[in-house]
Formats: sequence, structure tokens, C-alpha cells
Amino acid sequence: MNTEGSFKKELRDWIVVRNQKIAPEDFDDDTPLIQERIITSLQVLDLVLFLEELTGSAVDVEQLKPGAFRSVNVICASFGPGGQRGG
Amino acid sequence: MADFAQVLDRLCAASRRRYLDPYAEIIWPDVLEADAWSFTPELISLYGTGVWEEMTDAQRRSLSFFETVNFFSLNIHGEKSLVEGLARRVHQPGAEDITPYLHHFLDEENKHMVYFGGFCRRYAGKVYRDRKVAFPREYAPGEEDFLFFARVLIFEEIVDVYNVRMAKDERLPAVVRRINELHHQEESRHLAFGRLLVKRLFDRYAAVWSPETLAGVRDYLAAYVGATWREYYNPDAYRDAGIFDPLAVQQRALEDQRCRAHRERVTARALKYLREAHVLEAGV
Repeated sequence: MNTEGSFKKELRDWIVVRNQKIAPEDFDDDTPLIQERIITSLQVLDLVLFLEELTGSAVDVEQLKPGAFRSVNVICASFGPGGQRGG
Repeated sequence: MADFAQVLDRLCAASRRRYLDPYAEIIWPDVLEADAWSFTPELISLYGTGVWEEMTDAQRRSLSFFETVNFFSLNIHGEKSLVEGLARRVHQPGAEDITPYLHHFLDEENKHMVYFGGFCRRYAGKVYRDRKVAFPREYAPGEEDFLFFARVLIFEEIVDVYNVRMAKDERLPAVVRRINELHHQEESRHLAFGRLLVKRLFDRYAAVWSPETLAGVRDYLAAYVGATWREYYNPDAYRDAGIFDPLAVQQRALEDQRCRAHRERVTARALKYLREAHVLEAGV
């Protein structure tokens, strides 16, 4: 399916749609998403569903390492093409 | 706080008087009646949507089974984190007065998982996965305890509306009605406890919170209501019922006016209480 570039674009688009108060130019691929409250902990359920849809693979949240959703780059490294599945 | 102590005594006495054995209370049929409704159709997450209108009666009844498995699964996941949180607070210094009731609360929540899990494993062979993730963070004094019990209250208020309705719905199998009935009986005590405790914690701590903390608490709880509802719209259940493109169906249902109105009706009691306790501001 995705290249790393298209994975990041889909992810960034999802974040902008979900946040509604942020524009694409307001964050980069290293911006700490949770810390900056660009994504809230309550939205992670939807993010996991979105990642499962995007990758076609289930995410086992019990196995997630701390910081697995820290930034677009970290999410891509964990769940994107060739990712480690779990951060 | 004499009233609070008296209510706790009454709740403890009621828990002892109505002590249930979850292994003896439910008669499990070998199989569920084929083609029966398993979930009150009017409460099914897709009820009234375009997808619902296009489904055959058999497809709707099949979805009703997977919605039951989802409802019981989300209860199990809620109860797992509830049991963890209650266990941390039993015998907590400063919470000695509520500890006797927390023992009953813990005991009853564990029993609920027995029958919810019993249904899911027997008839579906699985419990739907939990996708919630908690992130560690710093809290103001009392904020973590307050949010814990406020989350529990919101979650249980919504579940209870479904329990009451389905316990009486004669279209459903006896085992489903009985599980809903048993759960409601004990949850009504948990709700009475939660309403008193949430107000007490809020009155005690909100006065010392900064305006930013108070605003953060209110924003979080309003968002928590929405996040709780999303679990009722589970793409895994839609997929199991043979519905095409389940994630898109979930999103459309969440945005559907009829579904939105349903959520508002079910959540009205919880929000009214939270507004009257000044936890949420008017208009939320």
C-alpha cells in the first residue's frame, strides 16, 4: 500500500481533520502530538482504528511502548511501511 | 457529611443483603435462539441510519448479536480499568470512610465481568478488543481521583440506560435480559455512590484548582462523553455482521442526526447531574 510519504500525508490529514483547530503548517513531523495536545488521549482510540485501516493490521494496545504516538515520525516508524508495530 | 456516611451504610447493607453468585444466577442455554434479536433494535448503533434501512431483517438481527457482544465487551474493558482503579483506592489514607463500600464495588464489578465474559466466550468465542490507551500525566491535588470517579459515573450512567431498557425487552433471549437485569441491580447502587462521591470530591478540590486545571477537567469530561460513545460504534462488530467498509459506516453513524439525538437522550441524565453539581457548565 503506502510509501512512507503517503503514510505520513494520510496521518497528517487525519490529525488536521480530527483536531479542527490546527492547520497543516502548525506542526511538523517531529512535533510532540500528545504533549502539545494536538491529539488527546481520548482520540487515540480513533487513531488506532485509523492506523489499523491504513495498514490492514491490528494494533495490540497492550503491547504499545510509552511514546508510541509521540510524533508523526515516531508513529510512521512504529506503524508505517516496514514499522515495528508498537513503537 | 452525616448524610454521606448514612448512605454508605445503606449501600453496604444492600450489597450484603443482595449478595449474588454470578455462577448460579444465570442459566446459560447451549445456543442462542436462531434469528432472535439479541439487542434491543432501537438501541443498535446503526438504527435509523441509511445503512440500517438497506439491511434485511436477517442482517439486522445478525448485527444485534454482534452489538450485544460489543456492549458486553466494552463493559468488560470498562470494568477492568475500574477494578484496577478501585483496588488502588481501597484503604487509601484519607478515604477510610469509603473503603467498606469500595470492597463491595470491587467484588460486584468482578462478578459483572464473569457474566459479560461468559456470554461473549460462549456465544461469540471472543471479547472485542479494547483500543483505549492511557497516558501518564501530572495531576493537581485531587484531580486524578475526581476524574477517575467522574469517568466511572458517566460510563455507568450510559450503560444503565441500556440495561434498564434491555432487561424488560421481551424480544431478547432470557439470558440477555437476565444479564442486563443483574447488572442494573448492582449498578443502581454504584450510581448512587458515584453521584455522591463525585460531588464531594469536586466540592473539596475544585476550589483549590487553578482556573486552567478546572477548565482542563471540564474539557476532558466533555470529551470523555464523546469518546465513551464511540465504543458503541465498533467497526469490528460491523465487520462481523458482514457490513461493507465498517470504518466509514462508523463515521457516518456518528455524524447521523438521528444517532446524535439518541446519544443526547441517553446521556441527558448524566449531563443534568454534572451540571447541577457544577462539574460542567450550563450549555455543555
